[in-house]
Amino acid sequence: MAVKFFGQFLVEKGIVSREAIIAAVALQEQRNLKFGEMAVSMGLVTSADIDRAHKAQFSKDMKLGDILVAMGILNLDDLQGVITRQKDTHLYIGEALLLLGSLTREQLHQHLKEFELDQAPYVSERVELPAGVANGKIWEMTADLTYKMITRVLGLHYRAEKCHTVSTLGTNFVMAALDLSGDVEARYLLSVSAGVQKMVAKAILREDSVESESAEILEDCLMEFANVVCGNVAAKASQANQVISINPPVTIHPPLEGLPVPPGHTALCFPIHLVEGEKMELFLLIRS
Amino acid sequence: MKKVLIVDDSLSMARQLEKIINDSGDHTCVGLARNGAEAIKMNHTENPDIICMDMNMPGMDGLTALRSLVLLDKEVKVVMVTSLGGVGDKFTEALKLGAKNVLSKPFEAEDMLRMLREL
Repeated sequence: MAVKFFGQFLVEKGIVSREAIIAAVALQEQRNLKFGEMAVSMGLVTSADIDRAHKAQFSKDMKLGDILVAMGILNLDDLQGVITRQKDTHLYIGEALLLLGSLTREQLHQHLKEFELDQAPYVSERVELPAGVANGKIWEMTADLTYKMITRVLGLHYRAEKCHTVSTLGTNFVMAALDLSGDVEARYLLSVSAGVQKMVAKAILREDSVESESAEILEDCLMEFANVVCGNVAAKASQANQVISINPPVTIHPPLEGLPVPPGHTALCFPIHLVEGEKMELFLLIRS
Repeated sequence: MKKVLIVDDSLSMARQLEKIINDSGDHTCVGLARNGAEAIKMNHTENPDIICMDMNMPGMDGLTALRSLVLLDKEVKVVMVTSLGGVGDKFTEALKLGAKNVLSKPFEAEDMLRMLREL
């Protein structure tokens, strides 16, 4: 039901053992050369060049390939050549399991089809952002996964309004907030009315009524939902080789005048319409 | 009846897991730890057959706790239940550290029970 990669799907379903996956990952680590290792093996740079570039990375937030180009050690054609060679020779987990005899080719094809079906609900759909937002693909994916989880986890129908930038995060009953860090830095905020908070709690607790639940539990359910969405955002980002770490969620009770956007940040607002009179908004507070 | 210890900072998630486990007929929840440090203590005091543990918790996180649990008790059976299960390196790290399986959130109750019954 969640975003996952093929190896995890196989273990979760009991198709291959954890020992088989550990062995296959070890084989991948042995065969799939990192950028620097590949560049050295292609004779384009020396190990000493890689050491110098690694040291330069301490003071510059750049990828190894880019820093090698910036240092004049590698040209752009060679950079692309290394990336292409990495892609062309990449040993995927399925092939690694095949080589180790944990799966037959027929089983691999069959389970790949099952995996594609399992993950089909999470294939990204286009979400339009205002022009000029940096790392737009990640924020589009974040909004898209939020919408999908509203359907799959909460079982609610929704209508998404067009995203726009705001200078104040509008007030609401409560917000769940999670900080995202790594290749991007942002705060994910899910803002809901009291009615929506109860809808979320019903779905998370798998209960028909939450009228007798404490405020703490109701808030916890909203945080848990936001946590599940962001965990899946991190998973989807990792499939694109981007690292996103998430901190445990917190709740915020915004004042009537809303929350101002801090200097140096861009705030995207994604209004989400559920039932009449209830309000849900996703805010992404992105550090510029 | 197998005894299960739940480790999760989220009260709502713990409630959901407790319900699934206690309704299973062959597993029972023997306690709730709110972080990794509590899990290590309760593994000693409650002696569970299986530990279901979150990965992303304040204080001692799930992977740090898993490392300690396996060091202290070679027979411990831990299933990580986490929204971060789909992050490739987190998944493989958990297995390498000794987790028996990793279940990604959101999940179906039947997936959780199948995993517990395989242990």
